[in-house]
Amino acid sequence: MRASQNGDMGAFEELVARHRDKIYARAYSMMRNEEEAVDLSQEAWVKGWQRLRQFQGDSSFGTWMTRIVINLCLDQLRKHKRQRTESIEEMTEESGGVERHMPVVTINPTAGLERGELRQRIDRALGQLSHEHRTVLVLHEFQELEYKEIAKVMGCSIGTVMSRLFYARRKMAALLADLRKEDSK
Amino acid sequence: MEYQNQLKLQSYLDEELPEDEAREVANWLARDQEAVALLTELRQTRQAVTGFEDGIRLPESREFFWSKIEREIQRQEAHTKEQAPRIPWALRFRRFLMPATGLAVLALLALVVTREGGGSASDSSVETALEDSGAFTYHDDSAGATLVWLSYPADNEGADNDDWDSLE
Repeated sequence: MRASQNGDMGAFEELVARHRDKIYARAYSMMRNEEEAVDLSQEAWVKGWQRLRQFQGDSSFGTWMTRIVINLCLDQLRKHKRQRTESIEEMTEESGGVERHMPVVTINPTAGLERGELRQRIDRALGQLSHEHRTVLVLHEFQELEYKEIAKVMGCSIGTVMSRLFYARRKMAALLADLRKEDSK
Repeated sequence: MEYQNQLKLQSYLDEELPEDEAREVANWLARDQEAVALLTELRQTRQAVTGFEDGIRLPESREFFWSKIEREIQRQEAHTKEQAPRIPWALRFRRFLMPATGLAVLALLALVVTREGGGSASDSSVETALEDSGAFTYHDDSAGATLVWLSYPADNEGADNDDWDSLE
């Protein structure tokens, strides 16, 4: 780390090699698009190099880098949002809060699944969430941020974070249960 | 179940409740099966999602990915270096111009005061150094100092200011 901060590119390349999968995975979870995730993680590493001297070691280097890539993803998602109209899912959430009335999934929909299969199903279910719901879920479950920290990052209230997270989880449970039913047919 | 209570259950799961409220929820869970079922669903979803990222791999080789990063870093650094020489030298030293001007004015005042206070007329003289140039030379024998005063701006001063405005 010290060598990288002193301008040693070879040392920085080692850091990239060590953390590149994690940074890419975070970008992919948020963007759900391989190409965009590669580009954004690459951009994050360039920014990381430029800001390396600002890294004080208050958190781990990996956490510091994921913050950079998350910010880039949020900027990109905001750009996407400006370009498209609201999805049906978002409108449903705003108008009624369907998650309040969803029946509870009583059987664990992922029980007994192999790792690869589980990942595939989570991937499909995550892909069906709006980017706001997915972002809250990613920031909470993967980045392990508290409600107030998520609210700050996303520029919304803690109440909004709570309801988005609740919706995302309930929707995920329902989607995973549907996938299980499909599989058993 | 009321929506606020549903959210309270979630906060309980995420350990976001103050201690006394968490205790209340624990008591509530002991007597409400519907609440237990919802909490179980939320917990299962959280567990299912955990570890999802562990299996994700960057779909590019180490060498190729790094070569793109390295090239972009070098491109941006070269771009930054290209930008730097375009700034006129006067702008880079702008921060020193104000205090330097102040010091020059003070030095001039000090000379004038010294002259009026004790120096005789024969000790000093003022003359135009170059004909029609707008430059004056002030010489004080008692202070042993010579001051050249340029009374008009340099020819290219305006151009420098234009550059500054456009950069800003």
